[in-house]
Amino acid sequence: MNILIVEDNKELAVEVYDFLCNVGYVCKIAHDCADALEEVNSNDYDAMLLDLGLPDGDGFEVLKTVRKTKSKIAVIVLTARGELDDRINGLHLGADDYLTKPFALTELSARLFAVIRRIHGFTLNNLSIHGFLLQLQDYKVSYDDIPISLTKKEFDIFQYLVLNKNRVITRLQLTEHIWGDILEVNSDSNFIDVHVRNLRKKLDKHRTIDWFETVRNVGYRINE
Amino acid sequence: MKIKHQLAIFNALTRLLVILILWLMLPILVENVVYRHINNGLLEKKQKFIQHLDQNEINDFIENSDDSTETYSQFSTLHSEFLVLSKSPVKVVKKKAVFTNEYRVIEGEENEYRILQYHFTFGNQGYNLEIGSSLGEVKDLTFIIKFFIIIVFVVILLITFLADTFYIEYLLKPFYRIIDTKIRRVNEPEAFDHTPIKARSRDFRELDFVLNQMMDRIAELFKKEKQFISNVSHELLTPIALLKNKFENLLQNDSLDDNAIDKIAGSLRTLDMLKKIINNLLLISRIENNQYEANESINFHELVADLQEDLEDRIEDREIQFLNKMEHDYIFTGNKTLIHILIYNLVTNAIKYNKPKGSIEVADGFLENKYFISITDSGIGMKDSQIENIFNRFARISSDQDGQGLGLAIVDSIASFHHIEIKVTSLISEGTTFMLLFPEPSKDK
Repeated sequence: MNILIVEDNKELAVEVYDFLCNVGYVCKIAHDCADALEEVNSNDYDAMLLDLGLPDGDGFEVLKTVRKTKSKIAVIVLTARGELDDRINGLHLGADDYLTKPFALTELSARLFAVIRRIHGFTLNNLSIHGFLLQLQDYKVSYDDIPISLTKKEFDIFQYLVLNKNRVITRLQLTEHIWGDILEVNSDSNFIDVHVRNLRKKLDKHRTIDWFETVRNVGYRINE
Repeated sequence: MKIKHQLAIFNALTRLLVILILWLMLPILVENVVYRHINNGLLEKKQKFIQHLDQNEINDFIENSDDSTETYSQFSTLHSEFLVLSKSPVKVVKKKAVFTNEYRVIEGEENEYRILQYHFTFGNQGYNLEIGSSLGEVKDLTFIIKFFIIIVFVVILLITFLADTFYIEYLLKPFYRIIDTKIRRVNEPEAFDHTPIKARSRDFRELDFVLNQMMDRIAELFKKEKQFISNVSHELLTPIALLKNKFENLLQNDSLDDNAIDKIAGSLRTLDMLKKIINNLLLISRIENNQYEANESINFHELVADLQEDLEDRIEDREIQFLNKMEHDYIFTGNKTLIHILIYNLVTNAIKYNKPKGSIEVADGFLENKYFISITDSGIGMKDSQIENIFNRFARISSDQDGQGLGLAIVDSIASFHHIEIKVTSLISEGTTFMLLFPEPSKDK
């Protein structure tokens, strides 16, 4: 999977780059509109992460140009909240998703996965981990063909952790993923623990889950 | 009261006053004119009589020369005039004519007469001459004149009143048009209509011009602030994004000990708080900068049900009883995202400041034709002095509470953006009720 990161802040671009390379994507960075357009035209990318405030123009211009020729490239717009209506505009102009800065890298990878999956016609429908099979299409989990009944939230948590396996996921990241980017300050609470506890209980019935780690005071990690 | 009504009333009153004064002066004026006319007539007659006077004529008038009281009078046939000559016992020094109004009985008929009395001496004998003219007809005439004049006055009053009213209405029309198109209908300075309003009066053209200028300045400020907000968001949130992502990548480093992981996680929490504070402040600024549209239909029934589902975990965590008593299918036109935040903040507050195993009741209804939603908790309650401050930014009731005190400031901004009135009633350790009074739809249009 080839991904183009269009971001003018070089340090931020590097962080995203490192993370995505770690996950297994092949990445390239462009710092401005001209760079971005040249890259898109000369190479085949599966996805593009597009920052809006670029030094030589508006990210939307890039999006418009790209959409004229390439339809199969997934575009996720990265925007600061103040750039209001950008998200509406973005989805209008053909962005597949948007993320408001600052975003969690794990959230980015989850969105990227979903967007690429959609663009490629849902060819990747299952995830598996230690014998557990996640059917993404219909939110079902089974072990050895025995269905496990999970709530929507439990399924979402499980999928998120599996998609970001081998990484520590903080409670905050999980909370944001499940309840969205809520504005309330100090909403970081332990409600998420209740759901994780229930999820673990349900999985534990089928096999030992020592690979489903609790990182003390921080969050959780699923190891492959 | 509108200026056109005030002017109309003032005009009518001043006219009425003028008419009243004229009406009061009318009898005096008329009588003055009429009496002068009659006096002149009488004087003329006297003049004629005196000029042609000789002893024979006097003798003709006075039959019995011994009886000083005996008079001889001459009447016109309709008793409208008379002439009396009598001997005066005393010698008269004064030769002045005197006019009086008196009642006289002539041939059994009493009438009011204007009488000229004149004393004169003729051949050593003093005489008293009285010439009278009946006032009956004159009185009738005066009455008719007065009546006619009153009618004319009333007609003039009505015509000028109507003319004034229409003219004032016509003159003030641009004024109301300015209010309507330039002030009332303008929600956003960018949507301001700069076409000059046609007005005959220079004052209104000037007002229009000045308003246009003012609006330009405001639009410029709004534009600048919008730009500023956008810049701040970008400039502040990008470094936060960078730090956040750096910490997240750092967290995956296997060589970290528990202590380091704790500290990184703590830093991430702080960053998250910082992000939220910035986003909250930006949200308030954007609402106050009118950067939101308010044209979505909002169904509160659905909204509250969604909210209850979203907050299920927290409600269960504190074993709070959530009573959804929404009964009306009321549709409000506004910004869905903002209204969601408004109710969300009030409900999360109701959870936060509630007692464990307490209750929250969300109800709706109509108060004086206005739709309202009330959110009542069984929480710690507030003093009246505290209620005054809760909508201020960074206001917190006590220092040990969570949050940054922006939730209700946002509630306040969103409410005033939608012209929603908030009423807060609270009793210490009993609970608090937030009542949202929605504007009547007709007012909005």
